[in-house]
Amino acid sequence: MASTLRLYLTCIRNTLEAAMCLQNFPCQEVERHNKPEVELKTSPELLLNPVLICRNEAEKCLIETSINSLRISLKVKQADELENILAKKFLRFLSMRAEAFQVLRRKPVQGYDISFLITNYHCEELQKQKLIDFIVQFMEMHSLKYFRRT
Amino acid sequence: MAEVKKSVESDNAEDILTKIENKSLKIESLIKQYKFIEAIKTALEGYPPRDERCKSANWIGVHKALMAIKDVEGMLRSLDPQYYDILMKYIYRGLSTGNRTTCDQCLKIHEKLTEKAGFGCILRSLADTVNTV
Repeated sequence: MASTLRLYLTCIRNTLEAAMCLQNFPCQEVERHNKPEVELKTSPELLLNPVLICRNEAEKCLIETSINSLRISLKVKQADELENILAKKFLRFLSMRAEAFQVLRRKPVQGYDISFLITNYHCEELQKQKLIDFIVQFMEMHSLKYFRRT
Repeated sequence: MAEVKKSVESDNAEDILTKIENKSLKIESLIKQYKFIEAIKTALEGYPPRDERCKSANWIGVHKALMAIKDVEGMLRSLDPQYYDILMKYIYRGLSTGNRTTCDQCLKIHEKLTEKAGFGCILRSLADTVNTV
């Protein structure tokens, strides 16, 4: 059980290390605009293949990359209804304070529990390795369920 | 000129499907003979097909060969480097299925393959939007 978690996190870490190659790219349609291409998906040549990494039927991670931005969406496993409600409330609490986290997305992508949006500006200001460590630690924390009281 | 090419391709799809079915039978027989490395080499050979049905048929064969592997390290040692990229693409396809046993096996192979082939292999599988599996 723990070994699959370790493999799952290693896989996500390796994929993020490879996929986080972002550069500044001004919008092609509108002048003087700079938008994260992974959110808009207007030009297919700027997008890479999205990658879905599943650990089992309930837990998965979707990584979508483009030239100037990267979106990571996570779905975590909930054992029962109570945990479902607790996790939803906790993640909603975090999402509402997304500005403090910088890389968090205010609304998760449809079908997932929480989403991160990393742009080239984040990669310029923050260290790439630390960003990846942050996301992997976030998942570890969720899987070990520190906030569970049982 | 483009129309002629398209009709030729749809004829070829039937041929490709039959070729893939033959390949599947060959892979199954190799697995029964415990020749796992030859099975995976046969599965990975050949250009990934264009047609969706051919891709699904090809994936079934590769899936059988991947699930039969017990010794991941040995398999990677004996596999030619030219097959790393295509193997990585099939691993990501396996990871997206969500089936527990497939994902377990694919995660194991992914870790070892990244150690061997490096991050460039992952990036090539992400960036290649033309030859997808």
